[in-house]
Order: sequence, then C-alpha cells, then structure tokens
Amino acid sequence: MKDMYLGIDIGSVSINVIAIDSKNEILFKSYCRNSGEPVEIVKEVLTDLQEKVKNRYNVKGVGVTGSGRQLIGYILGADVVKNEITAHATATIYYHPDVSTIFEIGGQDSKLIIVKDRIVTDFAMNTVCAAGTGSFLDHQAQRLGVKIEEFGELALTAERDVRIAGRCTVFAESDMISKQQYGFTKAEIIKGLSEALVRNYINNIVRGKKIKPVYVFQGGVAANVGIKAAFEKEIGSEVIIPEHFNVMGAIGIAIIARNYILKNETDTNFKGFAVTRDSFNTSTFTCSGCPNMCEVIKIQANGTTIAMTGDRCGKWSNSLKSSEDLLDTTTA
Amino acid sequence: MKITFPHMGSPLIYTKLFELLGHEVIVPPKPTQKTINLGVKYSPEFACFPLKVLLGTYLEAIEMGADTIVSSGGNGPCRAGYYGEVHQRLIRNMGLDIDFIIFDELKRDYKGFINKLKKLKGQHSWFDLYKIVKTAYKMAVSTDKVKKFIEHKRPYISDKKKLNKVKLAIEDQYREIKTEQDIVRVEEYAFKILKGLDIEEKTGAEKLKIGIVGEIYVVMESGINFNLAELLNDFGVEVEMSHYISEWIQENLIPFVSHEKEIMKKAEDYIETIIGGHAKQNVGHIVDYKERGFDGIVHLKPFGCLPELVTQSILDKISDDLDLPILSLSIDEQMATANVMTRIEAFIDMIKQKKYKRSSDHERHVFGY
Repeated sequence: MKDMYLGIDIGSVSINVIAIDSKNEILFKSYCRNSGEPVEIVKEVLTDLQEKVKNRYNVKGVGVTGSGRQLIGYILGADVVKNEITAHATATIYYHPDVSTIFEIGGQDSKLIIVKDRIVTDFAMNTVCAAGTGSFLDHQAQRLGVKIEEFGELALTAERDVRIAGRCTVFAESDMISKQQYGFTKAEIIKGLSEALVRNYINNIVRGKKIKPVYVFQGGVAANVGIKAAFEKEIGSEVIIPEHFNVMGAIGIAIIARNYILKNETDTNFKGFAVTRDSFNTSTFTCSGCPNMCEVIKIQANGTTIAMTGDRCGKWSNSLKSSEDLLDTTTA
Repeated sequence: MKITFPHMGSPLIYTKLFELLGHEVIVPPKPTQKTINLGVKYSPEFACFPLKVLLGTYLEAIEMGADTIVSSGGNGPCRAGYYGEVHQRLIRNMGLDIDFIIFDELKRDYKGFINKLKKLKGQHSWFDLYKIVKTAYKMAVSTDKVKKFIEHKRPYISDKKKLNKVKLAIEDQYREIKTEQDIVRVEEYAFKILKGLDIEEKTGAEKLKIGIVGEIYVVMESGINFNLAELLNDFGVEVEMSHYISEWIQENLIPFVSHEKEIMKKAEDYIETIIGGHAKQNVGHIVDYKERGFDGIVHLKPFGCLPELVTQSILDKISDDLDLPILSLSIDEQMATANVMTRIEAFIDMIKQKKYKRSSDHERHVFGY
C-alpha cells in the first residue's frame, strides 16, 4: 500500500478535504458546504474517500485547519492542527514559489498574505467587518435570482459602470437596491458590486501595505471572474487563480502534515476510518477549581470521553492520561 | 464605606491598600461575559470598550454591596479622563446612590487631591497614610516582579497545573501581608517555590520574545484580552507587557519620579506630541523592545480608542523601519475567539519562520513547523 496524507479545512461556509500522496500529488478532492454539522459532513466525506481509495492507500498523517479545526482535530486524532493563514500560504508557495502577494477571500474571512523568498513576512485579516466575503455575495446572488456560479460571468457583460458604496454590506445592499431602481441592469449592478468589494478589500485589508506581483487570488470567491477582473483593474496587474483555488487551505495543511510526519519520523495519531461510524457529543462546563473559572469543553465518542480542552492549567486536558486527577474535583 | 475599584490585572494591591486603611473592601469580580453584557447595556454605544467593561464591573460590585467607587482619572486628550464623571452620571441616572472618589493628576488639582485623600484616610494620621501607601506600593513592585518572572519562564515550565497551584499559594501569602517586612519574606518564598519548578529554558532560534503594547486597561486585564500573556506563553513565547501597575503608580502618583521619559524619547521619530492615553509610551516601548532583541509585538486596541487608533495607523511604518513584525488586535464585545487564535498562531508561525531563516538550520525548519 502507498502512503497518503489528509488535509481538512473546516471553514465557516465550506468544508474541504484533500488527500495527497508522498509527492504532494492530489489523490482526492472534496469541497462541500458547511451546513452547520461539520462532524457529520467530515464523516460522510471520509466514507466516500475510503470507498474511492479502497485498500490502495494507507493514511500516514492528518492535518486540520480552519475555524473549526480544534474539534475535528480531536475527533480524528490529527497530527497537525494549524491556522488557515499558514496553511494557505504553504499551499500557494508550493504551487507558485515566486508569489509575493496572496489575496484570499473565503466565506467569512478575507486575508492578505505577503510573502518574501517563500517566507510569510506579513498578513492581515478582516477585523470587525465581513463586508465583501463569500456569504454576502451568496446572499446578493439569491436576492437577484442569479446562480452564484454565473454571478461573475454576468458582471463581465455589463455595458455601463455603476458605483456602489462598499464600506458596509448593509449600506452596499441598500445602495444596490436604489441603483436598481435607477434602471441599471443586473449585470451592471453585479459589476459595480464586485468593484465595491475589491475597493473595500483594498481599504480594509491592504490598508496601504506595499504589495507587488506575483499576485495570487484564492478562496471560494476566486471562482468569481467578475471579482478577478475587478482586482486586476484596481491593481493594474495580472492576478493568478491557482488550479485548486477553493481548497488551498486543505492542500496546505495536508502538505504541512506530510512534512511534519516525514521530518519527525513519527507515526500518525489518526484514529482510522472507523471514526466515521462513531457518534460524537460535545458539552461544556465551568471549572471552579481556581479563580480562573475556565470553560472546559468535553468531547465524547460513543459515550467515552476522548478529549477535554479549554482549561488553562491542564487539570482537565491532562486528566485523560491520569484518571487520579478526576477524583479531586466536584464540578463536572 | 464599602469600597470597590476597577478590576485591572490583579486586585490584590487595591484590596490591601483599602484594607490597611481600615475600610471594608468589596473585591470586584474578574470581568466575564456577564460584566461585558451589563456594561454594554448601560453605556453609550460609541464609548470605548474599557468604559463599558468598567461600568459593568462597578454594577457587579454595587450588586455585591459596594457604596463607594475609587478610581483614577486620565490625562491628555484621551477620553478616559472623563470616565469618572461619565460613570458617575450613568450610575446616578440608574437611580443608584453611590459615592465616587476619582483621583485626577496631583499637579492638576492639589487641593482636591488632598481632600479626597482625607476622605480615604479616615482616622489615620498622615504619617500612617504614607506608611500604608508605601506598603501597598512596595507590594505592587513585588507582585509585578513575580509576574514578570512568570511571564518569562512560563513557556518553559511543562507542569502548568503545578504552576497554577504555586501561583495561587503565592497570592494567598501576599493577601496576608501587613508590613513592608512581610513583603520581603513573601517575595523570597515566591521565588523559592517558582525556581523549584522544572524549567527547561530554550536558547538561540528556539527562544521567542513578544512585547505586548496598547491601551493600559486591555493590556492589563486578562479577563478581556483572552489571557493574552498566558496564551502566548502556551505557544512557547516569552512575554513582556508595556504596563505594570507598579510602574503606573511610579508615573502617576509619585511626584518627581519618571522612568517613562526615556521610553517616550524613543517614540520621537514617530509621534511628537502626547496625544492622550499611552500612545506615545506604546510607540516608545515598541522601539525599546526592538533594541532589546524582541521578535515581535502584539498591539491591543479597544474598539473606539482614539490614541491607539493613531498608534495603529503608524504601525506599518514602524514595522517596516525596524524590521519587526507587529500584530494589531482590536478588542470589543464581539471578538470571536477562533478568529483571534488564528491570528496569534499565524503571527507566531511567521516570526518563527523569520527567525529560523536567519539561523543556520533554515532549510530544516522552513516547512517543518
């Protein structure tokens, strides 16, 4: 059997699973919507993956990234649990070693990553506002009755320019509605919106940082050719969309997991595909062992506690290793 | 008088000060989501975050029976200077009859300052007051020394549970202090047990140091800054903060003593005048941390804080000039923890890569993580 490494990106809007071989070649790729039950979705995708690779490949390492990384990491027995900025940068640098600027727009987050000599030197992420991310585009597509897949194409057919205020999604929406009432077409409105989002990105995320080519644009929103065109117009330079633009985080974390396993020459902690048949339950409680009052998260598989986390002193997270610590508490 | 005060960092010092003066002290609870909810509910929406959390803290303390609130004013154009007044009005408008004793800068109003002291000292002589304040100040210096030691060594102590127990034991000892001699004894005890822990210090490229700068309240109050110092420690990073309570006392309450002048001087290239809050000091600290070989800076800014907004706007330039990575975080009621963790982890990855790049075993580490 050959070796295989899994990379899983639990985003707020999508859940992506990638399997690579020991040469970083992609063996399996899955992109699906996060409907709010990440554990169930991951179980389904892994069942599908097992079916496809059957007995030809052996899982040697698992990496998890994205905002929901901790929980899935515990459940699967991940070897590496890392943030999506590092994961995204790793994948982009692997495919485009000469990259300088990475634009990444996902479901809820937009990021800018600046790279120099294959090392991340700076990054920025949207702070208190998610204007201009995938969720907002989704919502507008729905409102206009356009399929999200055709949203960007439509923007390219626009004949006139229309300026839409992009600072805040709520204002953008009301501006769009009023411009529609002036008689602008859907295509023109969508083009205006794409440009507004890019302007917003430049104002809020780039914020005067010096950026230079090679530019790479990735994340779910990179599927939108209208936004790509708006970016190119704004910065006056070509923007590359990588082949696997919507699963770069998963690829990156798979590569990191592979490197981690090979460098450290360790075995994987992966619990095996059998986890797809387990049922999981999470609960929380406040530990009153000391004035810190930590909120402790308890994860159970088929009724047995497999992980505890959130405690600052390690009383609970280490308790699974030595059960004696469980005795001196009364708060669970 | 049942006295309470803002919870900022460790409430130990104020508690001790008012106890020694013979007052009943209502120790305010550490800010939690409940505090924030209360504060946000009764504060003006566009007030900055510390005003809201402090109001929440006061309301919680009042619920616990406090009838007098002692706090400090601020100086310069920062709005914190009005907060005593604003809090007082907000609380009185809620129909609560609470006494406020707000200490503004001594040089601004000598007479008022003395009158407020008279109120607090009660039957004690001025000499007693001097002795008590000196004891509280010495205790602040001593606890900060312990705090700094922990912030430097915690990343290298693997047994966090034991460290937690040790910390609680040390706090208990400090709580019992009556005189200056007690402080010396407790400090010796603290360092003896802390140094008795298993500490495996890292060296070279493995050793990472981050300075935390920003608005004083959000820097000092771990309850609302996601325990940033400990969080960084847990990532294996040594930490130092730009604000410690003992230093604040030195600057603001002890006449003719200032260690900040030197720090402020280091900020001159970027920010000439004092624009309120600790904007100038923070920039000075960033330069100072660079000179002392730190690897990165985390800047904390309460949402709506004008001085720190100005600081944030010059951070990119400072970062470029000094070749020093700086992460700026905005703190507000709607902070998503997952989001903050992502930034902090990515920031640490970044400075690690940067550091390894300079060291000889660069290739081994670039993608090794």
